[in-house]
Amino acid sequence: MSMLNSAKKYGLYTLLLGGALLASCDTEDPEPENEVEVFTDVTLIFTNNADASDVVRASAQDPDGTGVQELVIEDEITLTAGATYTLTFEILNALDADDVEDLGDEILEEDNEHQFFFQFTDGAFSNPAGNGNFDDASEGVNYNDQDENDHNVGLSTEWTAGDAQTGSSFRVRLQHQPDVKTGSTGVNDGDTDFDLDFVLNIQ
Amino acid sequence: MKISVSIAIALSLTVCLTSPGMAMYFPTDSCEYEIKGQILDVETEQPIPFATLLVEGTQKGVAADDQGAFVLDHLCEKEYNLIFSSVGYKTVKHHHDWHHGKIKIYLTPSVSTLESVVVEGEEVVGGLASVSLETMDRADLATKTTQSLASAISDISGVTLISTGTNVQLPVIHGLYGNRILIINNGVKHGFQNWGIDHAPEIDLTSANRIRVLKGAAGVQYGPEGLGGAVVVEGDPLLLSKKLYGNVATGYQSNGQGYHAQGQFGRGYEKFSYHVGAKHIRVGDRHAPNYMLTNSGMNELSANVGLRYHLPGWDFKVYYSYVQQELGLLRSSVAESGPLFIRSLAAEEPLFVREFSYQINEPKQTTTHHLANATVDWYTEVGKLSLLLSQQINHRDEFDVRRNANLPIIDLDLFTTQTLLTWDHTAFHGLEGRIGFQFFYQDNNNNPGTGTTPYIPNYNTYRGSAFVIESLQKNNTTYELGLRVDYEFNSVRGRELNQDLFRNTYDFTNVTGSLGMVHDFSQQLQLRVNVGSAWRAPNMAELYSFGQHRFKTQFGLWRYYADEEGRLRTDRVLTEEDGTSEYERGYKWINELALNKDGNQLTLTAYANLIDNFIFDRPIAVIGTIRGPMPVFIFDQTDALFLGTDLTYTREWNPNWESTLGVSYLWSQNLSKNEPLINQPPINTQAEVAWNMPAFFSLDRSKLTVQGVYTFQQFQAPRTIPPTQLISGEVVVTTDSEIFDFKDAPEGYFLGNVRWEWQRGALGGQLEVRNVFNTAYRDYLNQMRYFADDPGRNFLFSIQYKF
Repeated sequence: MSMLNSAKKYGLYTLLLGGALLASCDTEDPEPENEVEVFTDVTLIFTNNADASDVVRASAQDPDGTGVQELVIEDEITLTAGATYTLTFEILNALDADDVEDLGDEILEEDNEHQFFFQFTDGAFSNPAGNGNFDDASEGVNYNDQDENDHNVGLSTEWTAGDAQTGSSFRVRLQHQPDVKTGSTGVNDGDTDFDLDFVLNIQ
Repeated sequence: MKISVSIAIALSLTVCLTSPGMAMYFPTDSCEYEIKGQILDVETEQPIPFATLLVEGTQKGVAADDQGAFVLDHLCEKEYNLIFSSVGYKTVKHHHDWHHGKIKIYLTPSVSTLESVVVEGEEVVGGLASVSLETMDRADLATKTTQSLASAISDISGVTLISTGTNVQLPVIHGLYGNRILIINNGVKHGFQNWGIDHAPEIDLTSANRIRVLKGAAGVQYGPEGLGGAVVVEGDPLLLSKKLYGNVATGYQSNGQGYHAQGQFGRGYEKFSYHVGAKHIRVGDRHAPNYMLTNSGMNELSANVGLRYHLPGWDFKVYYSYVQQELGLLRSSVAESGPLFIRSLAAEEPLFVREFSYQINEPKQTTTHHLANATVDWYTEVGKLSLLLSQQINHRDEFDVRRNANLPIIDLDLFTTQTLLTWDHTAFHGLEGRIGFQFFYQDNNNNPGTGTTPYIPNYNTYRGSAFVIESLQKNNTTYELGLRVDYEFNSVRGRELNQDLFRNTYDFTNVTGSLGMVHDFSQQLQLRVNVGSAWRAPNMAELYSFGQHRFKTQFGLWRYYADEEGRLRTDRVLTEEDGTSEYERGYKWINELALNKDGNQLTLTAYANLIDNFIFDRPIAVIGTIRGPMPVFIFDQTDALFLGTDLTYTREWNPNWESTLGVSYLWSQNLSKNEPLINQPPINTQAEVAWNMPAFFSLDRSKLTVQGVYTFQQFQAPRTIPPTQLISGEVVVTTDSEIFDFKDAPEGYFLGNVRWEWQRGALGGQLEVRNVFNTAYRDYLNQMRYFADDPGRNFLFSIQYKF
């Protein structure tokens, strides 16, 4: 240890010699950044159109964002057969527990660059029928919202649950399509902001 | 560590004790200076027999011999104005200092509009003769003005380039690249964001008068990190007593519809000289044979100025250069999510192809680089003392395709201060050499407002160094010895993902050395042998990189670890206490045999480079994220061995025809795991035929060069595991698993190039076709090989007026 110290001491002498020529040698801390790109928590919120108190929430979480911790799908989606729901989202960045950020507003601001796409077990819903718009972007989902160019966004969509079933699938993908989005762009255009596959039950 | 400190003290004592004593060994009779040189024809490069040399203002003079060589001895002064002349040639005046070595005088025929020129030899410095060295002078560089530094030197055997697309190119020497190659710009280490393979040095080729590529352990003289070698860029020599000289040039290239303009001029007076240069180049989207390479354009502006003031025995020089770059990166190389990466890998054609445009959108890099140097040279009886002060400011912004694309994802300011004090002592018992002290300081700061956790932290690096290189000539053999001590201290400040601050300080002390020999078997046959060590501290990106940038999610050595099951973990920042990330230490042994006989020039180089704790970047996993599965890369460390050989054979069939054949072969291995490394240069062969065409039409001369290059597939590439197999769980990979890549190494390819240069008086030009056959190919060392082909056929035209 003392050897190390003496080496450091002599080293520092050398540095001081040269250091005299420097205007400043301060070490600054980097400013904390607001992570604007990372999603850690996505929650699907199905609200029954006939009864605003009937709310079904299903969440997915990747608590360390870019870190290697695996994504966890926390809930299954359980809807009532025949009921009509409006699906909205809560999209958060909770990397910093003291400063949780809601990214839904940002997507709304840039809605001409974003679109939500859906894929589900064929016939899970009576409306929309089919299996969603992954395979064909132009049909199969009831969008409630459009951007300034009148293209679908999907921050709000409408769903009428079909017959009772368990273990079906409901997949939602948010695509970021800067300079790409048109009326006909699909699930593979642009880049993926999130892509989540939930288990869907209807009872 | 104690030993190294003692050596440092011993070194400084040597300087203090020997300098007064040494004066005794210098000539007491002051009329013992001499000037040696050779007088040549500028066009044919043949000697001019019996040309004359006159010392201005005296009756003293001498005639050259039949080989154009002359020796003027018994001179009492150290500096003279010399006048060289010969019948039929333009007379040239040259200011000569005794400390400059052998000079070469190129006389221009009287009928030509060009001026005669003088080239000063190397200053008397020993210690690097045994290192394999290649030099490119202004004439070589003039045919490459629109190329990058790396591309320009990549014709040298054993040198290739690694790139991230068309605009970001780094030199590779014997399989090593990045910050294992020292880039020395006008005497100092180029201070730039030298990490990863997506940052190229901001150096404008036209600012260089000469580029020297050292392929051995050059670290003793130039500083740590030169494990692979060094690229030394020298500016205009600022000669005194020189008429106004310079050139203006412009050109166009078809691929990318690029254009450039450049100009430079200089003048040397009796005591003062200057040189000024500037260049602008703009290129739009390049195209591969089958599609557009969208967003591959670039825009670069550069300027430089050098001043010299001379007093007897003293030289004062100031140099400033500015480079501003905006570099586009292939749009299709961005994959924010795994599914897109997978589709990009599988796609025949890039996923994002648009019409041609000059527009540079995200992803892109913008940089500005300032370099300011001040040098004082003092020529004394005991040799040359030189003090160099240098300051560089590098500002870099990088933009990714993302929701906040207008914000840079990387925004860094890097300040580099260097002080270099050297003493080139005159011969002492036959020993010639240089003793030097160097101080290096670097301050890197993240500018706030990127909206993302800093990819690399703020840091300050302080380094103090002392070195000595000496050479001794005995008969036909020169022996060389070099020794260097470095102490480096680092202070790091960064942010974790949750914006918690982390801090660390650590230091390194190192001794490196080199031992060399040059033996002349005969006038024609020469052998160089050099064994050298070098070291390099892991750079900040290798230690601390964290996060996603373009298509990669990357973790530095101190940002990940493997748990008991070998699974990757990234939940804490490591330190040196965790025992990972030793500094790299390299040992390079290089042998070069050069034969020059009857118009045959053969150079055979064989080398072995052992690197302990070699740090490299490799794919490791595909992990599930909210965006879908993402490819993950880590920095890893191992002991590695590089064995290779380069062969160049040039044959001058007659004064007008010349052919060259070159082969470079490198074998490399991860010794700890007994498996291949990744991103190593494949075997490369090239053949060239040049024809100096006789004068026709009104052209004074012209030259046609035809070149064929075959690059083999990399047979030593790691195994391939497509990301889909990792996602499906078909293949499970841990940190201990054998190395893999996401895509096969591309197939071998042949490229044809043709160049025609012409000269008519002061006017010259060239017409060049690169990739004549419009071959669709991917280069293993281009990171874009995952996404797109390299550029297709390119016609380049340029015209130059020289005065």
